[in-house]
Amino acid sequence: MVDFLIGLFLASLIVALFTTRLYRLLLWYSLNSLTLGLLALTIGSNIDDDGMLVTGVITILIKAVGIPYILKNLSQKFHFVRQITPEIKVQYAIMLVPAILVFTFYLSEPIVNMIHTNANYVAISISSLFLSLLLMMEHSNVAPKIIGFLTLENSLFLLGITATNGMPMLVELGIFFDLLMAIVVINLLFHKEEMKV
Amino acid sequence: MMLALLLAPALFMFLVSFLHNEKSKYLLAFSSFVILLPIIKLFTLVKPYAILGTYLVADKLDTYVLLVSSIVGIGVTLALLTLDKHVKVSPKANRRFYRFFAIFWIGLIFSILSNHMGIYWIGLELATLSTVYMIKTNYTPAAHKEAWNYMIVGAIAVSLILFGIILMYASAKPILGEDAMQFDLLLQHAKEIPSPFLFEMGFAIATIGMFIKMGFFPMNLWLANIERASFYPVAALFSGILESAVVVGFFRFSQIAMEVNYDHLFIFVFIYTILTIFIVSFLIFRAKDFMRLFSLSGVEHMALIVMFWVSGAPFAALLHFGAHAFLKPALFLSTGVLESNGKYKIAGALRGYKGKRGTIFWFLVSLFLLAIISLPPSPMFFSELYGFGAMISTAKESDHMLAMIGAVLFLLILLSIIFYRFVSIYQSMKYEGETESKEVYPSELFALILFALSLVALMLPDTLHYLKSVI
Repeated sequence: MVDFLIGLFLASLIVALFTTRLYRLLLWYSLNSLTLGLLALTIGSNIDDDGMLVTGVITILIKAVGIPYILKNLSQKFHFVRQITPEIKVQYAIMLVPAILVFTFYLSEPIVNMIHTNANYVAISISSLFLSLLLMMEHSNVAPKIIGFLTLENSLFLLGITATNGMPMLVELGIFFDLLMAIVVINLLFHKEEMKV
Repeated sequence: MMLALLLAPALFMFLVSFLHNEKSKYLLAFSSFVILLPIIKLFTLVKPYAILGTYLVADKLDTYVLLVSSIVGIGVTLALLTLDKHVKVSPKANRRFYRFFAIFWIGLIFSILSNHMGIYWIGLELATLSTVYMIKTNYTPAAHKEAWNYMIVGAIAVSLILFGIILMYASAKPILGEDAMQFDLLLQHAKEIPSPFLFEMGFAIATIGMFIKMGFFPMNLWLANIERASFYPVAALFSGILESAVVVGFFRFSQIAMEVNYDHLFIFVFIYTILTIFIVSFLIFRAKDFMRLFSLSGVEHMALIVMFWVSGAPFAALLHFGAHAFLKPALFLSTGVLESNGKYKIAGALRGYKGKRGTIFWFLVSLFLLAIISLPPSPMFFSELYGFGAMISTAKESDHMLAMIGAVLFLLILLSIIFYRFVSIYQSMKYEGETESKEVYPSELFALILFALSLVALMLPDTLHYLKSVI
């Protein structure tokens, strides 16, 4: 089950890299967050960690439902451009993505040998991190860059779950709080009517 | 109780920022003064002092950083009182600035006082996010663009720090469990960490994140662009407070990394900082406006602080840190007056001041400009002497004495380029160009006097003794 979910996590991120429509990108982000939440729930129940179960539920509520909903509302309110063509051509991206995956598996080999729980997942979280950075880089529009930042945060969360069997509850709640704060700031940044002094 | 006292002024400022009264700006400035009181109280307590269990612990290092930051905060709020006299700013933007300044303070208090890697990161992220909106209080397209840039680059930097923290936590979790997040326990058990490579990897990634935030190589220009686009108090906050929170994190992480493998840490950080100073010295040489000049000089000084710290000279690093934290915001705040007649008018910028206020202003700015390039009796002169001395002492214990002497000579050449540029700019400000009248307001002057007094206090024997006892 964990293998299936982690595969789905990576797949949703790869598909997001090729998406050319904003709402579709939000959907892939939502699915990415949903798989992350389900992963936390599965691993949490496997190792009997109540904190991780709570984290999983909050992830699904905030990241899979709340944030995509808020971002969709923002896009309608501020009339975002919905056609988001990546700057990197598809034929190059198709070569770049597997190259990143192979490179990160090779890069993380020494680390993988030191982590005994869910070792290969660490490599996947690091490759997700690079793919999220790629998502931020390949778009010139702000909205996909925000999604890139949010998927970057998902990748770090995945690393936290897999490499350490969950971070302390206090830290995870703090990260959620900061994420909400980021959404508030993003909302304020879109307001342009205040340009008049 | 102490935590409540520390947070109360910031919460008060947050609430007052919602008032629409004209006079509320004085209340906001007052609340910034009040922040100093609990910090002075904290100074008098026996260290380490547990503020919130093992999560927030005040020791000598963080109390010093917090005191320096609170003085900078007071100076910035004083300058904010007359911000509308120099730039176009709406009352709404002014109030929002204070609202985010309050959130920024809360983030900083948690970040600086944390004994926990996770809480350090949460505080830093909160402070980073709150500064994003401060940049946007300048309602220009350039500031709007730079606010987004900051949001994205800042988020990447902070994400790298979290990535590093997770790896460091994973490396120590087998021996410490969930306590592997605590700085003091990690330091005590550094030699027992079962996977030192994993810890070093985490440290390197977190350090790169922190260096990006401080504008180190290869991200040399983003900070300068942001500080140019935003209002000058934002630049003062960045250089005097936010970078302090970042560097205190570096101090904490590197203390542990030194125990794990000192040679790896030293080579990595030393090469990184030399490369940064090399690039920045030439960028300073080409700088054509005050904000970029001071911003790039800030990067140079942060690199020197980091270099002195890893070279085994914590005293020099802390002295340099304190001097930089007072000098750089003072210079940034004075740009409000210096740029009264145009952004790129360096020639004659120190002329045209009338009356006692004007005379004190240009005299103080001259002193600050010469102090930042380490002319004696600037604290930076002494910190650099101690710092370079420590680098040679460290090399004596290894087989690389010749390489270190070469590195120090190379650094001195780079610093002399910066010295030459600053002296040339000072001469141009004082002796070239036309004399155009400029107004200095009492609150700005008071802020500069506060920074000048703080610099003098930094050189008092008691302060130096305190700094020597920090590590």
